[in-house]
Amino acid sequence: MLFNSIGYLFFLPATVFLYYLLPYRWRWLLLLAASYFFYLIWRVEFVLVLISATLVSYYAALKMGQIPDKKQRLKYLVLSIAINIGMLVFLKYLGFFTEIVNQIAGITGSNCVIPYFSILLPIGISFYTFQTIGYTIDVYRGVIKPEKNIGIYALFVSFFPLVLAGPIERGRRLIPQFHVKHDFDPQLFTSGLRLILWGMFKKLVIADRLSIFVQPVFNEPNYFHGIEIGFAIILKMMLVYADFSGYTDIAIGSARLMGFKLSPNFNRPFSAQSIAAFWSRWHISLTSWLRDYVYFSLPFKYHGKTVNWRINLNLLITFVLVGFWHGPYWNFIIFGFLHGAYMVLANISKPILSNLTRISGLIKTPGLLKGLNISATFLLVCSTGFFFGQHPLHDSILMMGNLTDFSQTGKSILFLLKNNDFLLGVVMIFFMLWFEYLIAVKSFASRFLSKPITIRYSAYLFMLFFLLAFGVFSSQKFFYFQF
Amino acid sequence: MTRNKLFFLKLVVFILLAIGLNVCLNKVYDHWMYYFRLARYQDKQFEAYPDTLKYLMLGNSHNRVNPEVFGHSFSYMTPKEVYTQTYYKLKYILEKTNKRPENIFLSIDPVNFSPRAEYDLTFDGYWRKYLNYPELAREFNDPEYLLNWVTGNFFSYVGNYKFVYMSVIFRKVDLQQIKNGYVPPRNYKNFAKEPNRDALGFEIATAYLSTYARKSKIGEAKYYCKILALCRQYKINLILLRMPMTDEYLKFARKMVDLDKLDQEILDLTQKHFSDFRVFDYRNYFKGKPEYFFNADHTNPIGAMIISNKIREELEK
Repeated sequence: MLFNSIGYLFFLPATVFLYYLLPYRWRWLLLLAASYFFYLIWRVEFVLVLISATLVSYYAALKMGQIPDKKQRLKYLVLSIAINIGMLVFLKYLGFFTEIVNQIAGITGSNCVIPYFSILLPIGISFYTFQTIGYTIDVYRGVIKPEKNIGIYALFVSFFPLVLAGPIERGRRLIPQFHVKHDFDPQLFTSGLRLILWGMFKKLVIADRLSIFVQPVFNEPNYFHGIEIGFAIILKMMLVYADFSGYTDIAIGSARLMGFKLSPNFNRPFSAQSIAAFWSRWHISLTSWLRDYVYFSLPFKYHGKTVNWRINLNLLITFVLVGFWHGPYWNFIIFGFLHGAYMVLANISKPILSNLTRISGLIKTPGLLKGLNISATFLLVCSTGFFFGQHPLHDSILMMGNLTDFSQTGKSILFLLKNNDFLLGVVMIFFMLWFEYLIAVKSFASRFLSKPITIRYSAYLFMLFFLLAFGVFSSQKFFYFQF
Repeated sequence: MTRNKLFFLKLVVFILLAIGLNVCLNKVYDHWMYYFRLARYQDKQFEAYPDTLKYLMLGNSHNRVNPEVFGHSFSYMTPKEVYTQTYYKLKYILEKTNKRPENIFLSIDPVNFSPRAEYDLTFDGYWRKYLNYPELAREFNDPEYLLNWVTGNFFSYVGNYKFVYMSVIFRKVDLQQIKNGYVPPRNYKNFAKEPNRDALGFEIATAYLSTYARKSKIGEAKYYCKILALCRQYKINLILLRMPMTDEYLKFARKMVDLDKLDQEILDLTQKHFSDFRVFDYRNYFKGKPEYFFNADHTNPIGAMIISNKIREELEK
């Protein structure tokens, strides 16, 4: 079921209504049933993978909980991770690896060709696999105690607001919330509704509208040049942001209606002043997961000393993984590698850059320096946008080539100015960035909530009807569902 | 009053306000929407049409055959119309009015037969008068048709800012220009002067033909066959039409679907249900002549008039 479908419009209120109607002890059961129903709607077979991931990590954690010795616990952790990663690799990456092996066989002249199996990827698998692995590692490390109630644990893995595309929650944050009775809280409830409205706005008015302009460029880059490509790349990053952060807002808002607090996934990433800062604001639940469970697990020492090249290598490895997590395509690997490489370059050039800042006098104008940093980070992020998607790699390269062709700039400008969806999309992007700035920096929310009810209701109604009139209602899937 | 009770009271007030505002917006949109006004004006003209009906032009905006060129004819084309809608309108004409067309013109462009074409109903605010949505929901086993009914009746403005904008621009449109139902083609731009015709051709071809997914197979065509059955039942002659398309549109259309194979499939299907019909193929008639087009897949007034005259000549032979 999609958040932006009519089904969800009935499903969510019905679930919330029943949730508060039921006695506390039955609520988890309702949520579990609702979550499985929500997931089952996609395809019945997908549930089998979800159940397997749940059972494996549940029993591994339970076993680890019974063993005090960390070394003894390790085998259960390895087993659980191996099975969960194995399922993920088999279902998501098998085709990719088969292709590589066959290509190598082709190059070496070997006749051995592995047959290609087309397997339907269960939706949300990358998200809930990481969630279960994070949980088992936490149990192994002794950060949390294993959850004994299998129903509650199954709910943690399948909770409907986050099962399809996160946020990737930690057991220590979410599981205790299932054990607490949530009384109806009007403030939390209305904040949830506001988030859902804002998430829908970002998805339907901005992301889906931008996709009308962006998709054709990515589908047939041959026919687009110069600034058309430039705008398509910038708007693609904005589209992904509006789409995924919109999804996250709806997820967090939906959970809030029932009193649950999910982790934030975005924090105005386009105001970041470096690539490292960008990743601390973009898909936060994934990057913090990789930081905690991968990056810090990699070796930093060489001959007993912490060395810079190890730090940089670990960064590269982690970001290639970030890219590869998105999908079994070279595009995503390059996307991740570029981000890692930018960070390594930033680390290496740090002394030079600070000297440059001092010598040029930029240090005395912090506002200008901040603006330059934000712009440079934004351009670097956009430069990776060529590779963010499942389109063929040669199309990415073609787009990069066509970007430098400014021979038809006049025509391109006219073409863009005549495109209503492009113009509306650009205006809405500015509105989104400005509005999120007001909320984060200018404490707009608290000032708005202190306004009279007539003003608040008028604003909600305006937003609602603007969304209805200007939204794209073709039930397009969320961008991150493909991962 | 407790905090929760007060909250629910406010929520109810908000919901009532939203419902009230929605009713107002829906009414205003329903009354002023440009295409609704045109289509309802056509309805009025058709009701008052006193003549015999030699030719009736049906289908979507591609069918720009001017009835004035033929005489004793009426154009009932509406934008984005699909065969499902055409069928219900023809059924309505035949069963609920006393008018019996001798011939009908029906366009058989690739867009009419794309795998999703029959399902993509638009402008339900107008079509709710003709379509039997519960019947469609049963026939296709798809409850989404009931949603179309709800949208058409209560939320016709939703997602349609472009038509709001268009309705404002054309608020003073002179409906008197519509003669015998014929809405003159739009003429405020010329495809020959478009800066990136390839991109526009690609955009339109993708928007309407991508559901073929590089297959040449026609969609379900259930309602096309039903139209043929109605024609057979009421002894109406059928004139099938392929209207001109721009080179840019056809270039991309051919990438998405094997047009020759598709055309043959359509003819085979028609022959299976109908023995006596004529086909006028003008798809490539304006090859290399973008000046006869309004956009990638629509002729402009001059282009439409040339085609209408050409058809008349052919029919008089």
